[in-house]
Amino acid sequence: MIAIETAGLCKQFKGKKMTRVDALKSLDLQIEAGEVFGFLGPNGAGKSTTIKLIMGLLKPSSGTASIMGVDSTLTDSRRQVGFLPENPAFYDYLSAEEYITFVGSQFRMDSSLLKRRTEDVLKRLDLWEARKRPMRGYSKGMVQRVGLAQTLVHDPDVYILDEPMSGLDPIGRALVKDIILDLKRRGKCVFFSTHITDDVEKVCDRVGVIVKGSLVAVDLVENIMRSGVEGYLVHLRLQDGAGRNFAGIEPLRVAGSTSEFYVSCSAFNAFMGEVNASGAEVALVETRRRDLEDFFLSLVNRP
Amino acid sequence: MLSIVTITLKGIFRDRIFQGIMVLSVLFIFIPSVASLSMRQVTELSTTLSLSLISFIMLLLAIFLGATSIWKDIERRYTFSVLSLPVSRSTYLVGRFLGIAIFMLIAALFLGSAAIVSIKIASLTYPPARPLLWSAIITSIVFDALKYIIVVAVAMTLATVSTSFFLPVFGAISTFLAGTVTQQVYDYLQTPSAQAAVSVVVRKSALVLYYLLPNLSGFDLKVHAIYAIPLNTQGLLLSAVYFLIYIGIVLSVGALLFARREMK
Repeated sequence: MIAIETAGLCKQFKGKKMTRVDALKSLDLQIEAGEVFGFLGPNGAGKSTTIKLIMGLLKPSSGTASIMGVDSTLTDSRRQVGFLPENPAFYDYLSAEEYITFVGSQFRMDSSLLKRRTEDVLKRLDLWEARKRPMRGYSKGMVQRVGLAQTLVHDPDVYILDEPMSGLDPIGRALVKDIILDLKRRGKCVFFSTHITDDVEKVCDRVGVIVKGSLVAVDLVENIMRSGVEGYLVHLRLQDGAGRNFAGIEPLRVAGSTSEFYVSCSAFNAFMGEVNASGAEVALVETRRRDLEDFFLSLVNRP
Repeated sequence: MLSIVTITLKGIFRDRIFQGIMVLSVLFIFIPSVASLSMRQVTELSTTLSLSLISFIMLLLAIFLGATSIWKDIERRYTFSVLSLPVSRSTYLVGRFLGIAIFMLIAALFLGSAAIVSIKIASLTYPPARPLLWSAIITSIVFDALKYIIVVAVAMTLATVSTSFFLPVFGAISTFLAGTVTQQVYDYLQTPSAQAAVSVVVRKSALVLYYLLPNLSGFDLKVHAIYAIPLNTQGLLLSAVYFLIYIGIVLSVGALLFARREMK
């Protein structure tokens, strides 16, 4: 089942001097239920605009967006969603407990279930001790955690998180990654925007890259990682003839009986054939690859 | 909607500006003493001062709460969180309005009680020539609250389209000032001298404004309260119906405008 779908989604804003700014250009995207989708893009690429359109906070100039098959312009489309806005802000005169209870009540949760779930999420996000204090006294990281808690309290099927790691310390970031992986295990759909590639690499099934309002790539993270393999670093232990070459490839380094070779993907089979024939012992093979950040940068910097 | 009303009320009671405004109610203590300086009609003056003080405090509250509530939610980006819940924008707007309206009635009850104590003390010390008509005093306070609830609705509707607080604040103040005189202007324009002196364009424009702006004069019952004049039940009923219809129209317009607003 498709959890989130956009079709030809466009958004134009009025710029200065009667100009028009294309914030989003014909976005076609389908995100399946149970999928963790990372939405990568540099600042100002259109990530938050896309999310606001999906959440009905902005009206599309053209095209449509839907959540679990319900058009985003309808209030009911938000019934199965947990949404974390970018740099979230909540009624700061309320305590975390009051706010989470308020959110749960909007989803018509049964009061005993809401009480139990509120306690669970506040404890999980390490807010239990501070739950009675007004949020105006919270740090940025604590507010961000309240934001995550309010997405979890009603246990929706779809999570839309705009920069969920923003403002969090390394412990908080690890916690969020854990939460996303847990949601993935439980078959929930998570759509989150970020400009930090490491976050995507660790938790996402699929990634979309948006640059200047256009979706320039969508692929499985696994495919990107596989296609990014550039070559191998092969460590050979040679009884004699340390420093000799194989398939015309000279060693990079020689240390005692061990030689280290950089072998490109295309030369790998021929190289290993000669190694096997020579009876040399393969001590270690390391994959040399472009990581997701290189992939992302290559797309962003593409002319 | 009930939960939005509840958080609105919590927000008002926990706000320091509101607490500052309510400190003004301390002035009720001084009213009997100040009124006694007039040497005559002390009770009438106490009633005038008490009702005027209620009016002033309620006006401050109406402007402060009506004009800043929606604007502050947008400015501080609370709307991103709340409007991404399964809450329609009209429910949110009406919920916020009802929260403030309920608060205005609670404030009227609190201030009215202080005013009644103040007037009672003055009347016991300096008995009035005409016996006090408590029903008129209480009705005057209630209708004053209704008047300021209309101002709140106007301010909130202006806030749905405004990107700063200037429009809702000054728009609400202007509407309040104009609303208190529209009936007099209308009555004047019906006189033969006005028909002769005022151009047709101005008369037509004034007529449009008369129907567009709230007519707040029907909610001003201070004269009845001060001079113990019996109330006209039919007139009160008409004002109450006008209140409901005007609020309904203004909030419907506000909801339509707010639904079209982009949350950038």
